[in-house]
Amino acid sequence: MAVSMASQFFSQEEGTSEVVSTSERVVELLNMAALATNDSKITMLKQVQELIINKDPTLLDNFLDEIIAFQADKSVEVRKFVVNFIEEACKLDNELLIKLIANLHMLLKDENVNVVKKSILTMTQLYKVALQWVARSRPPSEQQESCWDLVTEMAADILLLLESDNDGIRTHAVKFVESLIVTLSPRTPDSEVPKRQEGDISLEQIPSDHAFLKYNTLRDVGKQAVKELLKFMAHPAISSINLTAALGSLASIARQRPMFMAEVIQAYETLHANLPPTLAKSQVSSVRKNLKLQLLSVLRHPSSYEYQGPISTLLLDLGTSQGEITRHLPPPRDSNRKRAREDGEGGQKKSRTDIPLPDDDDDKDTIQLPTIPAPAPSTQSATDITAEFLRPLLSPENVANLVLISMVYLPDSMPASFQATYTPVESAGTDAQIRHLARLMATQMTSVGIGPGVEQTKDVPVDVVEEENTKPEGLVIKRRISALTKGQAISVLGCQSEKAKEEEEEEEDAPLAKKRPEPILPATQIRPSGVGGRKKVFRLKEVTEPLTEVQMKSLKLGAVQRILQAERTVGSSGASQMRVKVLARLVTQLDISVKAEVLSHFLSDPRMRLDLALAWLYQEYCEYQSGAGEEAYQECLIGILTGLQERPDQRDGVFTKVVLEAPLLTDSALDVLRKYCEDEGRSYLGMSTLRDLILTRPARQFQYLHLLLDLSSHEKDKIRQQSLHFIKRMYEKESLRPYIEKFALNYLQLLVHPNPPSVLFGADKDTEVAAPWTEDTVKQCLYLYLALLPQNHKLIHELASVYTEATADIKRTVLRVIETPIRGMGMNSPELLLLVENCPKGAETLVTRCLHILTDKVPPSPELVKRVRELYHKRLPDVRFLIPVLNGLDKKEVIQALPKLIKLNPIVVKEVFNRLLGTQHGEVSSSMSPLTPGDLLVALHNIDSSKCDMKSVIKATNLCFSARSVYTSEVLAVVLQQLMDTTPLPMLLMRTVIQALGMYPRLGGFIMNILTRLIYKQVWKYPKVWEGFIKCCQRTKPQSFSVLLQLPPPQLLSVLQTSPDLRDPLLVHVRAFTPHQLAHVPHSIMAILEAESRTDTGAEESAQVEEEQDTPAQDIIARRLAQEKSLKKQIEEQKGRNNQEMEEVAEVDPPAIFIAEEEEEEDSMKSQGKEVPQEDSSSNATTAEKSPVADEPMEEDPVEKKD
Amino acid sequence: MPTAPLRVAVVCSSNQNRSMEAHNILSKRSFNVRSFGTGTHVKLPGPAPDKPNVYDFKTTYEQMYNDLLKKDKELYTQNGILHMLDRNRRIKPRPERFQNCKDNFDLVITCEERVYDQVVEELNSREQETCQPVHVINVDIQDNHEEATLGAFLICELCQCIQHTEDMENEIDELLQEFEDKSGRTFLHTICFY
Repeated sequence: MAVSMASQFFSQEEGTSEVVSTSERVVELLNMAALATNDSKITMLKQVQELIINKDPTLLDNFLDEIIAFQADKSVEVRKFVVNFIEEACKLDNELLIKLIANLHMLLKDENVNVVKKSILTMTQLYKVALQWVARSRPPSEQQESCWDLVTEMAADILLLLESDNDGIRTHAVKFVESLIVTLSPRTPDSEVPKRQEGDISLEQIPSDHAFLKYNTLRDVGKQAVKELLKFMAHPAISSINLTAALGSLASIARQRPMFMAEVIQAYETLHANLPPTLAKSQVSSVRKNLKLQLLSVLRHPSSYEYQGPISTLLLDLGTSQGEITRHLPPPRDSNRKRAREDGEGGQKKSRTDIPLPDDDDDKDTIQLPTIPAPAPSTQSATDITAEFLRPLLSPENVANLVLISMVYLPDSMPASFQATYTPVESAGTDAQIRHLARLMATQMTSVGIGPGVEQTKDVPVDVVEEENTKPEGLVIKRRISALTKGQAISVLGCQSEKAKEEEEEEEDAPLAKKRPEPILPATQIRPSGVGGRKKVFRLKEVTEPLTEVQMKSLKLGAVQRILQAERTVGSSGASQMRVKVLARLVTQLDISVKAEVLSHFLSDPRMRLDLALAWLYQEYCEYQSGAGEEAYQECLIGILTGLQERPDQRDGVFTKVVLEAPLLTDSALDVLRKYCEDEGRSYLGMSTLRDLILTRPARQFQYLHLLLDLSSHEKDKIRQQSLHFIKRMYEKESLRPYIEKFALNYLQLLVHPNPPSVLFGADKDTEVAAPWTEDTVKQCLYLYLALLPQNHKLIHELASVYTEATADIKRTVLRVIETPIRGMGMNSPELLLLVENCPKGAETLVTRCLHILTDKVPPSPELVKRVRELYHKRLPDVRFLIPVLNGLDKKEVIQALPKLIKLNPIVVKEVFNRLLGTQHGEVSSSMSPLTPGDLLVALHNIDSSKCDMKSVIKATNLCFSARSVYTSEVLAVVLQQLMDTTPLPMLLMRTVIQALGMYPRLGGFIMNILTRLIYKQVWKYPKVWEGFIKCCQRTKPQSFSVLLQLPPPQLLSVLQTSPDLRDPLLVHVRAFTPHQLAHVPHSIMAILEAESRTDTGAEESAQVEEEQDTPAQDIIARRLAQEKSLKKQIEEQKGRNNQEMEEVAEVDPPAIFIAEEEEEEDSMKSQGKEVPQEDSSSNATTAEKSPVADEPMEEDPVEKKD
Repeated sequence: MPTAPLRVAVVCSSNQNRSMEAHNILSKRSFNVRSFGTGTHVKLPGPAPDKPNVYDFKTTYEQMYNDLLKKDKELYTQNGILHMLDRNRRIKPRPERFQNCKDNFDLVITCEERVYDQVVEELNSREQETCQPVHVINVDIQDNHEEATLGAFLICELCQCIQHTEDMENEIDELLQEFEDKSGRTFLHTICFY
């Protein structure tokens, strides 16, 4: 190497020098090639090859290793070059085989098909070379033997490549086999010998005494190769190119080795009748063209003479004109069949002598020879014999029967090959045609190993012949079986064999049993290792291994995933529809994991992939409709819906779309929808979906409606409201109305049960549970009903009837919840009015409640008032009915009802007054009331005590007074005026007067006037009033003094007796009069006044002085002066007054409580009630002790207010 | 892609119109392409259908061009013959006869069935030497300018597809089936060996 490196440098430096030796040039090229890139590398290597092989072969040995080193090159072309180089080198120097054959062996196993192909081609050449080289070496070396062993092994390997997956490799293998057969069979005189191959070795040149080359062994290898090739060609799924190659090879073999002519022709015949069903139409025509070409080339060969019949028939079938056939006929030979065969044998003998051989040990070969030609005629005769046997049997009747029977076996569609090859039978029924038919059938029968011909040839004792026959037959059977399973068999064959079987039962049984098992397809798969190189072509079953479950799953999943991922690509190419279809179909058929995959794909962008989901759904539905279980569909639908439901954002409405477009909503799908509706955030969407379902799917309308109705009693308020909202709209639809109504009423009816039914708790059973009604459960039954009520007022009657039967708790709840709907109905609702009119027994409270609700804010309508009035007067005289409509009644009615009204519960009474006084709410003025406040108060005073106890009346008047804004001083003045005018005087008159005075002290003057007028009315005749009168005078002193003085003496006396404390101030008052004034005071009065006055003369005097000085109008000043003058007495008086005040304050408390607190009041009233009659009876002569106590409660708190 | 560029031959009857059109396009697409005729003579349309201009394969396109220019310039300009010859002479000097060419190809494309038969017969009649396979495919093209152009594109597409196959021999069958489906034509296809 060092030298070569040096020479490289040298050559570079001396590049222009012309005297560079070849060797140096080679070195340079090799070095450059080692560094060069692909293209130039090949060029350089080719130059090297040229130099060392052609120009200076002596260099070959030197550079062999360097070139062979390139076989590891990564470039395919370089490796191919190495293969080629090996070929050239070995051809040049056979001894190199020893070195290079192993390299070739390696290259034959190369991973690249092109290198393998090239290696096969090289082997095609080198096999002959090697055989020749080995055969002619005497004695052969050990190296030669091992080299030959490797060659043999490689030949076997290539034979095996007939079964390669690769079409091209199979084609190349065919060519190798062709060459192998030609080499391993003897050349005969009638052999066509291509000029180029004249020097090539063939079997007859193998010396019989060779150390390791054995004639018989090689011959058997050759024959085995023929069988393999025939088998290869008979494969039912052979590719058209392989078939073409095989046809050509067979033709070539037939021409070069006419001993195989019979097999070749028969193979052609069989092929023609059984073109592979896998071929496309154009391939069929290509193959037929080729077959024709090859047949013509065979026909041209002299040895085809005895096969001219079948060949011509085939050619005619292939559309060759008779003229063309004649043109290709070989020059006629003057020999018959037998002669020809003898010629063949003789020729063989001759050929051995013809061909010059280096050695002359020929004689030993001849011993083997006679058996060689045997196979051809025997096979030939088998078909012939069968054909001869069949011919007379083909009567029109038999043929018709055959046709009829075979009809059954015809495939459904016409195979392409048949369609292409079919030509109408032109000469039907002629002898020639019958013979042709017989021959066709004989070919088939012989192929499957039946018929008299086979019988006879089978008997030939030679083993070789036996094998010759059975092997190809087995192959054809194999094809028939596989073809049959494809439904494209030529049916004649099947029925023929059956018929034949019947005919020859006993004899056939044995051989059939013996031959049939072999060709079964799977069996051949197991066997090939033993036989060595075998079959051919692509056979799916053989090249594929069954996948494991896991593999299949992952492959399926992978495939679907790829389709899923191809979304955008497919979309842009406009085939998205197709993709969706494909996916839908696929998914429907595949298992869960794939479905999950598609589902999640969909869910990752539901809006864009909705069509996919729907397509899938419909596909599942189709499956379901065509008999599959519902589960898959259900699963799919639920999967989609649940997935959608779980998504956060729902505004896209995909859920709705899926639900609406689903071909069938299963119960569990409805459950999903229900859950969806129950989700507060989505209830609107869910329910509008439900609504659409109800409106667009009449078939199951009520089922959906039921779901919606169910939701109306949902525990969540929002859901409930939402569903009620929807139901109300549904309710407007005439068709849905009855159902909704029935549902609502059913629920309503539940209230009749003593306990809430379990329906309310979600369970479907109607068993009652022990739980009591709660407000919630009651409401649950009412929501829907109440929602419907404003739309259909008639329903109110149902409520009324349920109400009467319901428990108190339920009633309470009902009364609470009906407010809104009743208000919604309005007081003009005829149904409501009807209810009021009819008021079922037990529903009074309900009706009252309704009335209250109606009139709560609005004055009652005349119609309503009329109904209530009728009800009240005719059926149920319960005054409470009247309350709501009080303002609608006329004055008289109100006054009539008043005694009853004020006897009611204080709260109710208060409400009544609120209504009457118009104080319950601001906007309605009291003018709406039939009674003015004054009228009311007057009416209260005028209530007949027989109708109502005084206590209630007092309470009622108190209520009036508490409404101070209504009862102003003016109103009270008018009231008092009116009361004054009534005769007899109302019992409570003075109480009212006192209260009025308490409320409005400035009414004092007016009240004095009242008091005076009362005197004219002889007030003392009314004991109660008189009592009050005295009280009033007491309160209003000293103003009341002038009034007192107007009393008749007896009455004055009575006053003074009742309240002695009045006497002295009165006396002082009188004494303060001017004399003129004093003159007006009757003496009787004065007498009474002075009757018991002894100690207060001084005071009288001073008072008189005061009276004289001051104007009477200035009472207060006068009083003050009087007080100053009579200090002592005044102090005494004040002490006395203070004491009295103390008493009064102590006694005032109860009245205050009395007014505010009714409970206590009742108690005190009871005691008072007892006392009142006593007072009445005692009339004038009541004890001073008692009366104040009795009157106390009637008083206001005047004392404090005065101060 | 096969390791070596495909050696393509396009063959028609006279190596004038169809094969040259394809030759033109294929060579522009940098294919290793040659073109041939299989007829015994080169025939070009003459003044009447029964009076064709007949040349042998030795005549150059240049000579034919000048000859026709001389005979009837207008006629041969109008029917496009001159234009065709002008194109041909830029591609190669003279028509070639397939039967006379001993070079090896990987792919031979013929332009009508008769030519296909002749090519296959020729290849089969040769003595086998290397057993190197050659695929012969027939694409029927009518012998006029328009069809020649269309056919040339189809051939070009076909060649491109074949060139791009991983393993041409293994895939060509399927490829041709696809092409048949796509183009609605049928292709005869066979294999021969050198």
